[in-house]
Amino acid sequence: MPEPCGRTFDEALLSGYVDRALVQRDEQRVRVHLERCARCRAVVDDLRAVREATMTSTFETPRDDEWSEAPRTESSRLLVGLGWPLATAWAVILIGYALWGGWQETENLVERLLLLGGATGFGLLFFGVLLDRLKAAKTDRYREVHK
Amino acid sequence: MNTVMVESAAPAMVAGDAESDRQLVDQAKAGEPTACDALARRHRRAAYLLALQLLGNRDDAMDVTQDAMLRFFTTLKSFDATRRVQPWLFTIVRNQVRDLWRRRQRRPGDDIGESDALVGQLATPQPGPEADLQRRELKARVWRALAALPAEKREIIVLRDFHDLSYSDIAQVLGIPIGTVMSRLHGARRQLRARLEEGGRHA
Ligand SMILES: [Zn+2]
Repeated sequence: MPEPCGRTFDEALLSGYVDRALVQRDEQRVRVHLERCARCRAVVDDLRAVREATMTSTFETPRDDEWSEAPRTESSRLLVGLGWPLATAWAVILIGYALWGGWQETENLVERLLLLGGATGFGLLFFGVLLDRLKAAKTDRYREVHK
Repeated sequence: MNTVMVESAAPAMVAGDAESDRQLVDQAKAGEPTACDALARRHRRAAYLLALQLLGNRDDAMDVTQDAMLRFFTTLKSFDATRRVQPWLFTIVRNQVRDLWRRRQRRPGDDIGESDALVGQLATPQPGPEADLQRRELKARVWRALAALPAEKREIIVLRDFHDLSYSDIAQVLGIPIGTVMSRLHGARRQLRARLEEGGRHA
């Protein structure tokens, strides 16, 4: 069993050696030590292999069109953020009011069906757009021009 | 998942890039929108990759990167153009990531949570000879082991070995004295080695 190297020698120097970040005196010390220490040579080889594997890895990244050119400002995000809840509340009240008012107005089945269909259509349309916006908001933040 | 662009590793900045970064920063400060675009184009991928490597999740990484780019541009006026852009942007990314962790009540000592989070984001290469297969397997093992490390250990390894930052840039991004970078990095690498040996035995 060779004696543990830590006693004569700070093991972190091996990282510095691999990274070529040592001052000349330390680099020399490591080189001399490596010549007679197989254990530290193996550590250096491992460090190099892992560094090489890490460095040459490639990842998938977002396509160019998933980014937009410049970020939106904080204030425009705030306004849009406030606008949608208000508009949603407005749509709910409007549809409810139209349904309730129209229902009282007429006894005629056909007119009531027309009213119900219209309100449902408008509601679906509005909430469909809202859902799209919510989804888009995640990826779409850079649309507006930064100033 | 609609990511198809393959990004090569270690977008190391050479001297010419730093020089033209400086010009772009000056122009962007003067309100030149094309300079802002050029800066964003040049640096957002590395920023995204750092966020991805810290968070392990594409959507979160995208959110953090967009927020970081926004901060980058809103604080541009106070940026000293003689400094380099990438370490500064990385500092912003790291702060955004920490904010997100805080909101989710996660700690920098936590692992990514899902061991295949990073491996799953590696680009799939063209089929090649056996040597390539072995290298690919090593990469997968390394990123799986990295995902299992505490984020603060993964962070320093990734900054050095993937993004190829110098020790002084790492000190700047992490906000630590440069004299402590080597020992921290080595400690993290030792932990990674232990993980790899453990993983190797189980595989
Ligand atoms: Zn030794």
